[in-house]
Amino acid sequence: MTDDPKLEMLRSEVRSWLSQNVPANWREQQAGDNIEAFVASQRDWLARLVAAGYATPHWPQGWPGGGRTLAEQVAIFEEIARADAPRMSLFFVSLYHAAMTLLEHGTAAQTSRHLPAILKGEIWCQGFSEPNAGSDLASLKTSAVLKDGRYVVNGQKIWSTLGQFADWCLLLVRTRTSGAKQAGITFLLLDMRSKGVTSRSIRQITGDEEFAELFLDNVEIPVENRVGAENEGWRVAQTTLSSERGLTLVELTERLARSLWRLVGLVTTGGTATERLDDEARRRIVDIASRIEALRAMIATLTARRIAGQEVPGDASIIKLAYARVLRDFSALGLRLRGMAAQRDTDYVLGAGYETGNWMFDFMNSYQWNIAGGSNEIQRNIISERVLMLPRERLA
Amino acid sequence: VSATAKQTADTLDPEELRDAARRLLADQVERRAGWGKEGAPPDTHALEAEIAGLGWPLLTIPASYGGLGQDFLTLVPIYEEIGRSLSPVTIADTMTAVDVLTVADDSVARGVLERIVEGTARVAVGFAASFNSASLTLGLTTVRGATGATDLMLLPESVEGRVALVDLRGAGVAVKSAVTWDRGRVFGDITLNDVKGRPLAIEVREATQIARAHADLAMAWDSIGAAEQALTEAVAYMCTRQQFGRPVGSFQALKHRAADLKVGLELARALARRASDLYAERAEGWNDCAGQARLLAVDSFRAIAEEAVQFHGGIGFTWEHDCHLFLKRALMNEMLGETPEQIRDRVAGGIFTRALARGA
Repeated sequence: MTDDPKLEMLRSEVRSWLSQNVPANWREQQAGDNIEAFVASQRDWLARLVAAGYATPHWPQGWPGGGRTLAEQVAIFEEIARADAPRMSLFFVSLYHAAMTLLEHGTAAQTSRHLPAILKGEIWCQGFSEPNAGSDLASLKTSAVLKDGRYVVNGQKIWSTLGQFADWCLLLVRTRTSGAKQAGITFLLLDMRSKGVTSRSIRQITGDEEFAELFLDNVEIPVENRVGAENEGWRVAQTTLSSERGLTLVELTERLARSLWRLVGLVTTGGTATERLDDEARRRIVDIASRIEALRAMIATLTARRIAGQEVPGDASIIKLAYARVLRDFSALGLRLRGMAAQRDTDYVLGAGYETGNWMFDFMNSYQWNIAGGSNEIQRNIISERVLMLPRERLA
Repeated sequence: VSATAKQTADTLDPEELRDAARRLLADQVERRAGWGKEGAPPDTHALEAEIAGLGWPLLTIPASYGGLGQDFLTLVPIYEEIGRSLSPVTIADTMTAVDVLTVADDSVARGVLERIVEGTARVAVGFAASFNSASLTLGLTTVRGATGATDLMLLPESVEGRVALVDLRGAGVAVKSAVTWDRGRVFGDITLNDVKGRPLAIEVREATQIARAHADLAMAWDSIGAAEQALTEAVAYMCTRQQFGRPVGSFQALKHRAADLKVGLELARALARRASDLYAERAEGWNDCAGQARLLAVDSFRAIAEEAVQFHGGIGFTWEHDCHLFLKRALMNEMLGETPEQIRDRVAGGIFTRALARGA
């Protein structure tokens, strides 16, 4: 369980940097901020992380702080979470999905154009899902036709995280309608300022607007913005989807543990004795505490396996499903234990992760992890078919 | 079986022990022993002799007593494999006593440890309300392994009093076989009538923490091993059983539940591993974490055993099929020694204290 001395040194460097650089009282300061103020604080936080080399430890050597091992990246994420620093939500797609896709499949021109810009705050979003292509992503229909060196794109995308603020979009389009549905997909880079692009915010059940719909009407994309060969975009998209290598859940699970400590503090102080804990509530806290601790232990084990290059098919699905369920049950418990206080619509902090301290918001928002990035049902298909080796369902 | 504990050198490879344990138990355990019409409990003598021959009880006994001086982690694969095999015998109670006895380290403890090394002692563990160890008159019901045990380690439920060792072969002791729904194990009712116990030189609080934690971890691993086996067998059945022209395991209504059970099992396993590491080092939070590990493990086992019956449909409801062996053991594991509610109440204080300290 103990880290080697080099890793321990990195951790103490990160800790000491965080103690100097995490904006003081940022939770209180940013509570109730609107989305524009949120974007401004995210830009400031990105600049600090880039300067320290903690934004891009996963990029190759030569980039700020680049060339770190996966174990070192995990250590940085854990320390950031343990210090309760802001999340890097607005730039996550840029730093991970866009950058890692370009580094693996992009042309020299594409990487030299975008990677330095990403460090300076170029915002990327993902144009993968469509209204009729959610869990069945490969059935996407947004069409692209190559004409005089430009793809002409028509269609609609949905669930682009913070797409309304994006400069660029990782876009999946259909370039062939015959044959296997995965074999007719092409990966393009879309400049969001192109003619014919309309983005519209989606108001979620939380009241927030963290996602956008994109409408693409005869949008022209130059062929040099294609990543990989035509009709080979599905393979490129797999790189995009696996680019964060489980680091998000390392971070979010650490944050979840902190939230439990916060909840215990809340429910054991103030009020009258009867408003505090009865036996049932106490036992339910023990149960959720045990599940959170188990989740941390499981993520540590599976991350170690990944670091050793011994990942087993289905590991990622087991972690994601476990986290999604624990997160939902945890926020539901907080909601219940906080009673009427949790029914009041009070300020919360954007970018604090899935645990803002506003229990209703957190409970509503927990659906995100149960639906996005492969719903629980998709994860259950993967676990049952690739881990337990149960027979496949008949596919359409 | 070549990789016996006795033959091997300083540090033992837990995975080699697992292989040896799995082979022995696959060979020696008849999981339906005890489930015959006549209702006789399983005969445990041959298996107990095999286990003594392999020297498993020596594993965690310090070398100064003639043991192998290994840490708790060497017992983990053994407990897990015992669970997987639905064995009628476990060494959990004797090994729980060993951890208390080695801390006590007095002449009474040394005597029992020497007999365990010789292979002539098997210890049952019981808790009772306050008692006077100089003259014990009390009854303990449904004690696991009581009928085959030579000694009883008796702990008071309160922090008052002393831990006592009782010779179960002495005068004033009656042990009567008790039949439980989990017929694959042996249980007994112990009656003590003016029996002189020998007090151990260890604080009750410390002895209780060690005994509870070791028992919790042993139960967690027993449950994890059995749960994994029950899930494996249910999945195998769902791959072959055909309805509507295809294997029932292809239906999402079933396979999604199997996936959830797998996730629950992996969470339980991860926590049990962490808790075992903490216990081996007696690192911060070791006693509470052991309780938490047991909570998740018995919960996972019960859920898997319950669903396994449903996954099998009508055949799972028959005495002839093995589903109910797992279900009855799961329900016993959940209750034996302490209920989940008692464990939750016991560990809550420590969990809350640490959460408040960290959240401050």
